[in-house]
Amino acid sequence: MSHSAKPVFSCTDVHVWIAEKEVVKGVDLAVSAGEIHAIMGPNGSGKSTLANALMGHPAYTLEGTVELSGEDVTSLSPDEKARRGMFLAFQYPVAVPGVTVASFLRAAVAAVRGTEVPVREFRKELLARMEDLEMDPAFAGRYLNDGFSGGEKKRLEILQLLMLKPRFALLDETDSGLDIDALKVVAEGINAAASQDVGMVLVTHYQRLLNYVRPHVVHVFMDGRIVRTGGPELALELEERGYDWLETPATAGGA
Amino acid sequence: MASRAATGATLPMLALEHVAELSSVAGEDRALLALRNQARELLTPLLLPDRARHLWRYTDPTRFLPDTDPTDLTPTDVGPTWRLEEPLSVAGLLAGGALRVVEMDAQARKAGVAVEDLHHAKAAEMLGQAVPPGHGFVEDINTAAWRGGVLVRVPAGVALEHPIRLRVVAGPLTLPRVLVVAGEGSSFEIIEGHVGGDRSVGKVLGVTEILVARDANVRYGLVQRWDPGIVGHLTARARVAAGARFHLSLASFGGSTFKADVGAYLAGEGAEVETAGVAMGGDQQHFDHHTEHIHEARKTSSNLDFKVALTHAARSTYTGMIRIARQAGGSEAYQENRNLLLSHDARAESIPELEILTDDVRCSHGATVAPIDPEQLFYLQSRGLANLQAMRVIVYGFLDQTLARLPQTTRERIEALVAARLHTE
Repeated sequence: MSHSAKPVFSCTDVHVWIAEKEVVKGVDLAVSAGEIHAIMGPNGSGKSTLANALMGHPAYTLEGTVELSGEDVTSLSPDEKARRGMFLAFQYPVAVPGVTVASFLRAAVAAVRGTEVPVREFRKELLARMEDLEMDPAFAGRYLNDGFSGGEKKRLEILQLLMLKPRFALLDETDSGLDIDALKVVAEGINAAASQDVGMVLVTHYQRLLNYVRPHVVHVFMDGRIVRTGGPELALELEERGYDWLETPATAGGA
Repeated sequence: MASRAATGATLPMLALEHVAELSSVAGEDRALLALRNQARELLTPLLLPDRARHLWRYTDPTRFLPDTDPTDLTPTDVGPTWRLEEPLSVAGLLAGGALRVVEMDAQARKAGVAVEDLHHAKAAEMLGQAVPPGHGFVEDINTAAWRGGVLVRVPAGVALEHPIRLRVVAGPLTLPRVLVVAGEGSSFEIIEGHVGGDRSVGKVLGVTEILVARDANVRYGLVQRWDPGIVGHLTARARVAAGARFHLSLASFGGSTFKADVGAYLAGEGAEVETAGVAMGGDQQHFDHHTEHIHEARKTSSNLDFKVALTHAARSTYTGMIRIARQAGGSEAYQENRNLLLSHDARAESIPELEILTDDVRCSHGATVAPIDPEQLFYLQSRGLANLQAMRVIVYGFLDQTLARLPQTTRERIEALVAARLHTE
């Protein structure tokens, strides 16, 4: 990667420990603006751990370097990363009872943009994005993820992606638990974000989502490492052949 | 109260003649003096509750003993500084051992609402109906020696548009007494706010009784936001007649040691009681809240939701009694207490208590004590909220579900205090 096209996100030699156990064993990634990468791997390979650790989950210890647009953010807290344009869509978004979607998003938007958005303006924007995602406006008044179905939670994650307008987004298993209609809506949201130059990494177990979102780069992740990197055709190959043929960790193919 | 054990503690004086003098100087009638003497008799000799008894297991009763003879206090002049910001039916200020200010709007005046100095309101026969002599030693000290009291009486059928506000200002030793009498079918909101302490040390032993007649609807709020030097005990009990509704809002913020005993007797068929409370403690604050919903009549229902959020090394104990008498069949009672710990040093205990003497009831209770969820924190932080802000959002959400149960004015008042408290942590 040349200096003139600095990636919006890169990480170098990232290792992640949960307590004494090394779960991620040396990962390098570089994602440019508007680029979509898919990280595919079997359950338990450590890909969700990687996503959470990159965002700064307190239960994980991360070693290596994480950069946003060339700035070293390795040791920054999750909120500092968010304010520098990093976003994580959660696999299992947590419920926060008593806090409405609207009030939470208003606080988040103010924190990330660094300025309070007038209520009316915010409301207008929120309702427009909710319409894009085919969400009932009444959703705004519900408590955050509280009693939401799996599909509702994932839509809310994408709603946040569209409202917070990050430079770089990690989407952790955003396709899981979605029916086909919801999957299409979520995919549209992801494509809309990519078209606005957001760099993205989709962490996924299935290739299903990739029928609707065309990744530029596909990485195969096994046992804490990227074992192969290729173009979109690699995802199809995985769909056909499974992961078994990659069982022996190969050197990551520099695409 | 049964089974007291002597502890050797002594109550400074409180001699018969002192009580008589207090009563006569205040211009009280004989019936009131008789009630004072009855309570004083129960304090002689002073037997403090056994610490093994659950209600006093967590808080040392000697903390509430007055350091001086309470009857020695003479009312002191207190400049009433109270800016009334919202429309009220009645505003009353108890400070320096006397009723200082009474303001009333036209509607309340026309409807015959009465706000009187309790010392000469000739209301002795109504005092003690919800907190009788023998209720407890703290209440007995108040009954024997209270100074500065107010009677609020709302006539039958009167629905007040605006709330009633009472403010009680803490001094070095404060024994306020409040009596609220709600006439048949009346409807109103009343907020009793406890403030003050002026950053100095003080003790408050307060008792409030609320008599809710048939079919009345009373929304009562007890809001405690003393300065840190105050040690206080507040008792607020209601007696709720048939078909009446009583809503109790409780909000505890201040003081160094605070013990509260609040509750209601559901005395008539179909009476309904709802209690919703929040407590926020920090530093070394010690809270001990006790609630009682006592079902004495058929088809009564009660519901309680009490939330506690603690920071630093704050301590909280909650004991919640539901008592359903044998003759109170067809009743239902629900109780929930949740405690959120925001620091490693904060501690909370929750003890539900049920005494149910009939099978014909529906009753449930739940209690939790939990630290703040690190996954919730991470989630909010990943959306740009700094740690402290994320904690505030979580606490606010935790309390909001309870605050949503409060009547309008009380809710606005308490929400403002919650917000202020969150922003000073």
